[in-house]
Amino acid sequence: MNKIKVLVLLSILVVAFLLDVALGSVHIPLKDVIKVLFTPDAGNDTWVYIIEKIRLPKALTAIIVGCGLSVSGLQMQTLFRNPLAGPSVLGITAGASLGVALVMLSAGSITSLYTIKELGISGSWLIIVASSLGAALIMILIVSISSSLKDNVIVLIVGVMIGNITLSVISIWQYFSSPELIKDYLLWTFGSLGGVTGGQLLILAIVVFAGLLISFLSSKLLDALLLGDNYARSMGLTVKRARILIIGSTSILAGGITAFCGPIGFIGIAVPHLARALFNTSNHRILIPACCLIGTVLMLICDIVAQLPGSQTVLPINVITALVGSPVVIWIIAGPTKLRGF
Amino acid sequence: MMKKINSRSFRGIFPCLLVSLLLITSCKQNQSGQKHTSAKTGSAEIKYAKGFNIDYYDNYKLVSIYSGMGAHADTVQYVLLAKGAKAPEGYKKAQLIQIPVQSLIAMSSMHIALADFAGAGNAITGLGSLKYVSSATVRKNIAAGKVKEVGIDGTMNDEMLISMKPGLVMVMGSPDAKFSKYETLTGAGVPVMLNSEWLETTPLGRAEWVKLMAALMDKEEFVNTKFDAVEKEYNRLAAIGKKAVTKPTLVCGMPYKGTWYVPDGDSYMVQFLKDAGTNYKWADVHGKGSLPLNFETVAPVALQADFWLNVGTVDSKNDIKAIDSRYVDFKPFKENHIFNFNKKVNDIGSNDYWESGAVNPQLILGDLIKIFHPELLPDHQLVYYKQLN
Repeated sequence: MNKIKVLVLLSILVVAFLLDVALGSVHIPLKDVIKVLFTPDAGNDTWVYIIEKIRLPKALTAIIVGCGLSVSGLQMQTLFRNPLAGPSVLGITAGASLGVALVMLSAGSITSLYTIKELGISGSWLIIVASSLGAALIMILIVSISSSLKDNVIVLIVGVMIGNITLSVISIWQYFSSPELIKDYLLWTFGSLGGVTGGQLLILAIVVFAGLLISFLSSKLLDALLLGDNYARSMGLTVKRARILIIGSTSILAGGITAFCGPIGFIGIAVPHLARALFNTSNHRILIPACCLIGTVLMLICDIVAQLPGSQTVLPINVITALVGSPVVIWIIAGPTKLRGF
Repeated sequence: MMKKINSRSFRGIFPCLLVSLLLITSCKQNQSGQKHTSAKTGSAEIKYAKGFNIDYYDNYKLVSIYSGMGAHADTVQYVLLAKGAKAPEGYKKAQLIQIPVQSLIAMSSMHIALADFAGAGNAITGLGSLKYVSSATVRKNIAAGKVKEVGIDGTMNDEMLISMKPGLVMVMGSPDAKFSKYETLTGAGVPVMLNSEWLETTPLGRAEWVKLMAALMDKEEFVNTKFDAVEKEYNRLAAIGKKAVTKPTLVCGMPYKGTWYVPDGDSYMVQFLKDAGTNYKWADVHGKGSLPLNFETVAPVALQADFWLNVGTVDSKNDIKAIDSRYVDFKPFKENHIFNFNKKVNDIGSNDYWESGAVNPQLILGDLIKIFHPELLPDHQLVYYKQLN
C-alpha cells in the first residue's frame, strides 16, 4: 500500500518538476524545454539562459527547501510533542533574520561593510554568512539554556520568547533605517526561491543534505522521544544529548534555508501532518522520507502557482505557502481527522 | 520620510489621474475675489505640472494640491497670506499659511531641492532625517545645530513638531495617503502640505513644483527666471535627443529576489528616455509608474540590450556580479555599458541625483544623451551619472 503511495507521489513530483521548469512568463514550447534539459548547446540562447539560469535553479531550490523545512518541522513537532511546532518557533528563523537585517539595514555605516568587503565577502554571500551566524547564535543560546532545563515545553516557550526579542530588535532597527533599505529587507522577508544560483545552490544543497542526514540517523531517537522523556530514559537514551542533536540539525536546516531563501513559512508546520495522515504512522524512518516527498511536491506546486504562468509578475513564495499551508493547519485543528502521533 | 523618489515608489492609477483632475478642475467653486498678478512677486504660470495649481488674488494666493487618485481623489486648498493680512471669506476648509514661510519642515530630498532652488535653503529648520542631505546650505545649518530631526514620515515626532511652531510641514503625498494622518498637527495650527511631485509624468512637470515653493517664499520672479532657463535648456536638449538616428535599447534598474521593477510609460523616467532618443521596451505600457516584472520577463531584453541604467547602490561591475552571477551574461555587462546615477553621492551617503537632480532635469537629460549618443553632445561632462567598470 505504502509503495503505491510513494509511486504516486514520485510521479506527481516528476510532473510538478517538469511543469515548474516548463511554465513561466516567457512561453517556451515543451519539446524545446526538454531539448534544453537533455542536450547541450540547444539552439535559442535566450531560452537556454531562462531554463538553465532561472527556472532550473529555482526548481532545484524548491526541492531542497521542501525537504529541509518539512523535516525540520517534523523534528520540532516530535521533540516538543506539539503539533504546532516548526522551525520558526524556536526563534532560529528570527536569528537568521537578525543576521540579514544586520547586513541590509546597516548599509549606512559603510566602514564596517568595507572591512568585510576587503575580506572578499560581498553581496549575497555577506547576507548568507550573516544569516547563518544569526541562526547559529540563537541556536547555541537555546541549546545552552535547554541543557539546564528538563521540560521541553519550557524550552519551547524560551525559544518563542527569544524569537520575539530578536524580532523586536529588528523592528527597532527598521524604525531607524532608510526606506529603501527597509524595502529590500521587507522583500527578503517575503521569501524567494529565485535568488539561489550556481555556487550558492551547491552550498545550500550540501548544508541541507547534512541536516537531513543527521535527522535520518536520529530517527530512532525521535521515535523514542515521541513516547515521552521518561520512556526514552528507560530505553537508555541520553535525552539531553538527543535534544541537542535534534535542535542542531533543525538549526542547520532552517538557518541554511532562511539564509538563502528568506523565512519561508507554513511548509514546516503543515507537511509533517500531511505525512502522518497519508502514511498513517508515527515511525520516523518512514515519516522523514515521506516529509521530503510531500514537502518537495508542495513546494514545486507553490512555485508554479507563484509564477502565475503566462503573466509577467511573480508572487512572493511566502504568500503562496501561507495560502496552501493555513487551510492544512486549520484542518488539523478543527477537522474530522484526529491528530496522529501525539 | 526622506524617501528617494524613484520609479519604484509609484503607486497610483494614472489613467484615473487625468479623469479625476478634469473632474476636480471642473468642480472648483467660484471664489470671490479679483484675480490679479501681484506686482511685487510676479505670478507663476503652471505649464507642465498636473499635481497643483496656484491662483493669485489681490491680497492672497490660493494653492490647490491635487492628492490621491480615482476614488481617493482630493483637492487640498491653502490660503497663502502675508503677515497681518485678513483671511478671505469662503475657504472654510483651507489651511492658512503665513508667507513668506520662515520655518519649513521638509520630509523628502525633493523638498530640500525645491527650497534650495528658490534660494530659501535657510528656511529649513527641520528634516525627517539628517542623513539625506546634499545641499551645502542645509548641511551648514545642520552642523550649526539649526536644523532638527523630526522623524521620518509615519513616525514623526508630533510633540516636537508642534513645539517648533513651523510655518509649514511638507510631507510626501501618495495616492493612498490619508490627510487624516496629520490631523494632530493641523489641529494644533501647523499647516501640512502633501506633495505628490513624484507622480508627475514628465521631468519638467516634476521640476515645476519649484513654482509652488516660490509662492510660499514670495520669490516668484526669481524662480520663474531660473525655471525658464531650465525649461529652455531641457527642450533644446530634447530636440537634439529625439533627432538621434540610432535608438539604442536599454534596461533599467536592478532585479531583487526575482522581481524586477521597470519604469512604465507613465513615469517621468520614461519621458527622459524618450527625450534622450532611445528604444525602451515598456515605453507604451500604461501603469502605476513602474511595473513589477519577474526576472524571466526582463531577461530576454537585458541579455540583448545596448545599455543598462540605474543599477541602484552598486559601484562596480564586481559589485553587480557579487549580487548575482547571472548578470554577467547581459550584453551591457560584457560591453561595459552600465551607467549608474550615483556620481554625486556625498560623504554621508546621500545621493544628489534625488535632490538637485530633481529640479535640474536638463542636467540629467544631458547626461543621458551623452551616454546614449556621445557624438551629439561632445562637450558635455557627466554630472549625475558614471560608468561602472
